[in-house]
Amino acid sequence: MRWLRWFLVVLTLVVLQTAVFPSLRVAGAAPDLLLVATVAVAFYRGAEVGSVFGFVAGLTIDCFLSSHFGISALAFCLVGFGVGVFQSGMLRSSRLVAPVLAGVGGLLGGGLWVVIAAIAGQDDLFVGHTIGVLIVAALYDALISFAVFPFVHWAAGDPEPARR
Amino acid sequence: MAVYRGESRRRPVLILLVVTSLALITLSGTGNGGIIGSLRTTTRQLVEPVQRVVRSTLRPVTNAFDGVTKVSSLRDENARLRARVSQLEGTLSKQRAVGQEVGTLEQLLDLPNIEDATGVAARVVGGPPGNFERTITLDKGTAKGIVVGMPVVAGTEALVGRVTATTRDQATVTLIDSPGLGVGVRTEKTKEQAITQGRAGDRIMRLNFLGNPRAPIEVGELVFTAGTTGAAYPPDLAVGRVTKIDRNRGDLDPDIFVAPVVDLDSLVFVKALRWPPRVAGSG
Repeated sequence: MRWLRWFLVVLTLVVLQTAVFPSLRVAGAAPDLLLVATVAVAFYRGAEVGSVFGFVAGLTIDCFLSSHFGISALAFCLVGFGVGVFQSGMLRSSRLVAPVLAGVGGLLGGGLWVVIAAIAGQDDLFVGHTIGVLIVAALYDALISFAVFPFVHWAAGDPEPARR
Repeated sequence: MAVYRGESRRRPVLILLVVTSLALITLSGTGNGGIIGSLRTTTRQLVEPVQRVVRSTLRPVTNAFDGVTKVSSLRDENARLRARVSQLEGTLSKQRAVGQEVGTLEQLLDLPNIEDATGVAARVVGGPPGNFERTITLDKGTAKGIVVGMPVVAGTEALVGRVTATTRDQATVTLIDSPGLGVGVRTEKTKEQAITQGRAGDRIMRLNFLGNPRAPIEVGELVFTAGTTGAAYPPDLAVGRVTKIDRNRGDLDPDIFVAPVVDLDSLVFVKALRWPPRVAGSG
């Protein structure tokens, strides 16, 4: 039944990302719910599950974007892997772990997305405005983590972050 | 050195995912054809009913958020628009007279124009899910006759963008200020042809490939679709207004910047045009 929970997480967040958050932009930036979920999955279940979840979540959101198919999948799976490796070295966690990880993960994921998109041909993204959007989106990601982390925690089923 | 048990397994998994992603990026391009295009369309269609329900359920929330975040800019815009309306009312009466003459001439020459293009009116129900795209989502799709490639206008005479993806009940429109969308245009007074180019993170477009770089284009001049033979857009749709011209010494071409005539962030209703118009009797 675990896979059904993962499916519900992806479906719910994809629907919110595509139907609701385009209208809830702050300074032109929307949070990346699936990226935050990837960070949360990597935090609770480790690098391997985090990277696989990031890949699937990225592919799903790529279906709704007009950019090259696979950019989000690559960026999210790298972030999932990175966060999973990082969390395995953490000795203890605090309440601030979720927003900090989501914010930093959001910034890294967004930055990676821009770099990969630029390599794929969208080099017009290398402008000052992009940095501003990435920072606002990362702050938004940190805020939204208070809702996304518990949701992913429910799907992951583990009471404590994984040590892998 | 401590080695985690999963270390030996997770690296091959990551490598596999990275290689698969790179292959998909290479194969896909940005087109909507082929297997990847079908996958995109199918996924969108599957999620669409849920999106519709969630969107309508949470509309009061998004409307309230919109009201809070845009109240001050709306006040300024309101004042600016009042001044602009009174100014335009004067020029409109003059242009009506000229427009009648042009319409008569077009009929005599049998040229296709905006009046020939029928369309599908649709409501804007969403924006782009990502932070680096300039698209809107319409509440009608192929079931109502909207297909990829249709020009989209606000009102009847201002170009908004072009349909770039469709499902049965929704359509995605790439806006004219998107970096990936160029529009063939001509300037109002000097009739110079050029191509607009959107710039990432900016609502102001740039005029490229100007026919005559030394043409005396002025700030405030309107820019219309050129409507050359086989063009993707009908002629004479307003695209933007020249807001800034930088003529740097040593540059071959001046930097000419154009702002869209309509606020592309506040669109509510638009119309997708059937273009080129169907010729009577051609089916």
